[in-house]
Amino acid sequence: MTKHKTPLLDELESGPWPSFVSDMKQEAEARAKNVNNVEYQIPVDVVEDLMGVLELSFAEGETHWKHGGIVGVFGYGGGVIGRYCDQPQKFPGVAHFHTMRVNQPAGKFYKTDYLRQLCDLWDFRGSGLTNMHGSTGDIILLGTTTPQLEEIFYELTHNMNQDLGGSGSNLRTPSDCIGQARCEWACYDTQDLCYQLTLDYQDELHRPAFPYKFKFKFDGCPNCCVASIARADMAFVGTWKDEIRIDQEAVKAYVGGELKPNGNAHAGRDWGKFDIEKEVINLCPTECMRYENGKLEINNRECTRCMHCINVMPRALRPGSQTGCSILVGAKAPILDGAQMGSLLVPFVEVNKESGYEEIKDVIEPIWDWWMEEGKNRERLGELMKRRGFQQLLEATGIEPMPQHVSEPRHNPYIFWKEEEVEGGFDRDINEFRKRHQR
Amino acid sequence: MAFISSGYDPEKPMENRITDIGPRKYDKFYPPVIAKNKGKWLYHEILEPGVLVHVSETGDEVYTVRVGGARFMSVSLIREICDIADKHCEGYVRWTTRNNVEFMVDGKDKVKPLIDDLESRKFNGGSNKFPVGGTGAGITNIIHTQGWIHCHTPATDASGPVKATMDVLYDDFKDMRLPAQLRVSLACCLNMCGAVHCSDIAMLGYHRKPPLIDHEYLDKMCEIPLAIASCPTAAIKPKKVEFDGKTLNSVEVNNSRCMFCGNCYTMCPCLPLADGPGDGIVLMVGGKVSNSRTAPKFSKVAVAFLPNTAPRWPETTDAIKKIVEVYATDARKYERLGEWAERIGWERFFEKCELEFTHHLIDDFRDPAYYTWRQTTNFKF
Amino acid sequence: MITAVGRHIPAAAFSYCKGIVEMEYEEQKQMVIDALKKKEKTKTKFYFSDLAKILDMKPREAKKIVNKMVEEGLLVFWSSGSTSMYGLKGAGKQSAAEHEEE
Repeated sequence: MTKHKTPLLDELESGPWPSFVSDMKQEAEARAKNVNNVEYQIPVDVVEDLMGVLELSFAEGETHWKHGGIVGVFGYGGGVIGRYCDQPQKFPGVAHFHTMRVNQPAGKFYKTDYLRQLCDLWDFRGSGLTNMHGSTGDIILLGTTTPQLEEIFYELTHNMNQDLGGSGSNLRTPSDCIGQARCEWACYDTQDLCYQLTLDYQDELHRPAFPYKFKFKFDGCPNCCVASIARADMAFVGTWKDEIRIDQEAVKAYVGGELKPNGNAHAGRDWGKFDIEKEVINLCPTECMRYENGKLEINNRECTRCMHCINVMPRALRPGSQTGCSILVGAKAPILDGAQMGSLLVPFVEVNKESGYEEIKDVIEPIWDWWMEEGKNRERLGELMKRRGFQQLLEATGIEPMPQHVSEPRHNPYIFWKEEEVEGGFDRDINEFRKRHQR
Repeated sequence: MAFISSGYDPEKPMENRITDIGPRKYDKFYPPVIAKNKGKWLYHEILEPGVLVHVSETGDEVYTVRVGGARFMSVSLIREICDIADKHCEGYVRWTTRNNVEFMVDGKDKVKPLIDDLESRKFNGGSNKFPVGGTGAGITNIIHTQGWIHCHTPATDASGPVKATMDVLYDDFKDMRLPAQLRVSLACCLNMCGAVHCSDIAMLGYHRKPPLIDHEYLDKMCEIPLAIASCPTAAIKPKKVEFDGKTLNSVEVNNSRCMFCGNCYTMCPCLPLADGPGDGIVLMVGGKVSNSRTAPKFSKVAVAFLPNTAPRWPETTDAIKKIVEVYATDARKYERLGEWAERIGWERFFEKCELEFTHHLIDDFRDPAYYTWRQTTNFKF
Repeated sequence: MITAVGRHIPAAAFSYCKGIVEMEYEEQKQMVIDALKKKEKTKTKFYFSDLAKILDMKPREAKKIVNKMVEEGLLVFWSSGSTSMYGLKGAGKQSAAEHEEE
């Protein structure tokens, strides 16, 4: 393995954290040895050349990749990102180095036979390098040549029953938290909602007709482990309507010290004896709890379901049983006008598997219609909301305004009254006015 | 290297074409103990850093061993993960949102052999392949973007600074001594294809120079209207330039309007903006996505610029380490980094973390800036 | 009580396809091709909304025509990674993949 010297990269082989450099070296070696006699469809030394490019970037502090407009396989407007090296003579193995996005299974659970099949395919037709996973959630297959794109897609769909993910002005590959599969706090089946909407909106995912990207993310509870509230144009955050379920005996056990708070998450330091007043009651943002005579009381009507008490005493407290989700819309990263958090549009909706999630689609589709018609090119939903106002979003979705929609009412009185809202309308007779007022 | 067809016929792309089938169905990949107990989980506990137990109302338990690693991963490594999953976990494995790998077993007796196996595996260079940790009030894996490995507009690398930072923060990956969980993330340019705007600590690659203009080739290689339209701040205009005695169509860039996003380079390869000394890292702090106690928060800029000192980015890792240590000592139990900074006041944050406050840290970008200036007499000396 | 989800159908849904409903696909196709060719000298990549404007259709209706033109190989996608655009096949300076014969 001496094709390129990589003294800078080599320094990242030491230290305790897994070294991606060592991993690249092992892959380069495996390809060179080729013990299984794979008929590699892209250059065998692709990994060595990638290391060479990266070493050059480490030395110069500049990237050596160029964007290419390749978008996908025939008929799809996304799923592939075109990449070319700007030093192709030095690094021919990565002269063309396109990415494919493969739609990950909800929850990111895998069976090894599937993963092995994917590895074999990517070994054979690609670089053997991946991201598990990309930021949006896809399995990222990193680096192949143009002629291989259709071949890989053919094998994925025919042999693995597996489709590509989204890129460009599309519905991006939806992603979810682990949800009810292994979390006691999940208020709905994030995996099923994620899967079902991904299937139902395949056309939106593969064929771009939106002004810009659009993301769905599914969080089972307000802890928001997949950051839906910060990242998704539509965030589906699990919540409940009724009372937090309390096991008073377990509360006592926390107070008595038999149970460790926060699922033992603070075990690395001696924080002293658990103090329910200090650690739970006083940290409750709505001050809706009290602990007296060995009994915990929650005024559930005043609770805003922030999860803190449940996080701290998971064996004593559980979310209520009348569960569903809140829908927040318009979150995005800072570019261009600054970051936006999702804004609450639907405080509560049942997540109803039996109806095929009709109640949720009834919110999604009018939003898309509004955005597709009113949105400017490259305008995210949150930016359109900012430009046109929350009221227009309410009109488009037919949702009634309510105090839950705001953190506080407006600071200015400059209300754009509509004609029909004002008695008598805007059309008035100047002569009638003049009967009451001289010129 | 003979071309081997999959069966696809480029002459007839629609023949036997399968499209719109989506991902594989999630429940085909559930381990039996998950399939059986989905929706029935009662509570969980962290047994030791990186090891969780979830207990179901059926009495079943699932033990999860979480390991960190690079999200940039070879098929050799994935196959090794499969070997481990086959040996210990009936052939099932999962990844977390933050690029950790989770191995699940259905009995306590299966945990120790699994951990021993995972921790015994090292790369040839000496680093751990599968370090167990990343749970509770500690530091878990860094989520990040592509950097110099694959991106065309990065202002820093991703895998390199992440490896360097995780080496420095490794003890907190293996421990749970912090006041709360601390989430670190990296995006290699301001477009943030991996969002970092709500992280406790975020590294953000940032260019500081406007694009170069390759007048000679621009009109040959690019469509000028597209290059102009790509600029979010309308800093690019068409311009005729004299070159080698000829008048060429090209563009000019209003440097004072450029926000260094690289969108023009995406549309036009004749507007490159990578620049060794110009590019580096912005350090942001204090964001969170959880609704717990306080509303989700955006990260704020704490250090305007740190250089790209490959291969280990010492200026960046030193600053991060310092912030983590001060936070660990000063914050109250359960307090996230941003909650702590707000309680003590940002003036104290800069003092305690020994970070210089420069004019770059006062927002001057569009409307939201005004609301970040101090509009009260309440401040600390 | 909070009414979570309204059943109200937005006004937009009733005004689909301003009078073009009857126009045959072949004519619509030609409209797109003519309009794009007219601009070919300066610009060969277009946003979806540009195509919807050429067709004078609501986006969801326009999408059906555009998709059909993609399937027939008349239109091709171009992507910046974050944004998608459309163009006539073979048109433009960045039409083919770089350094590759198509």
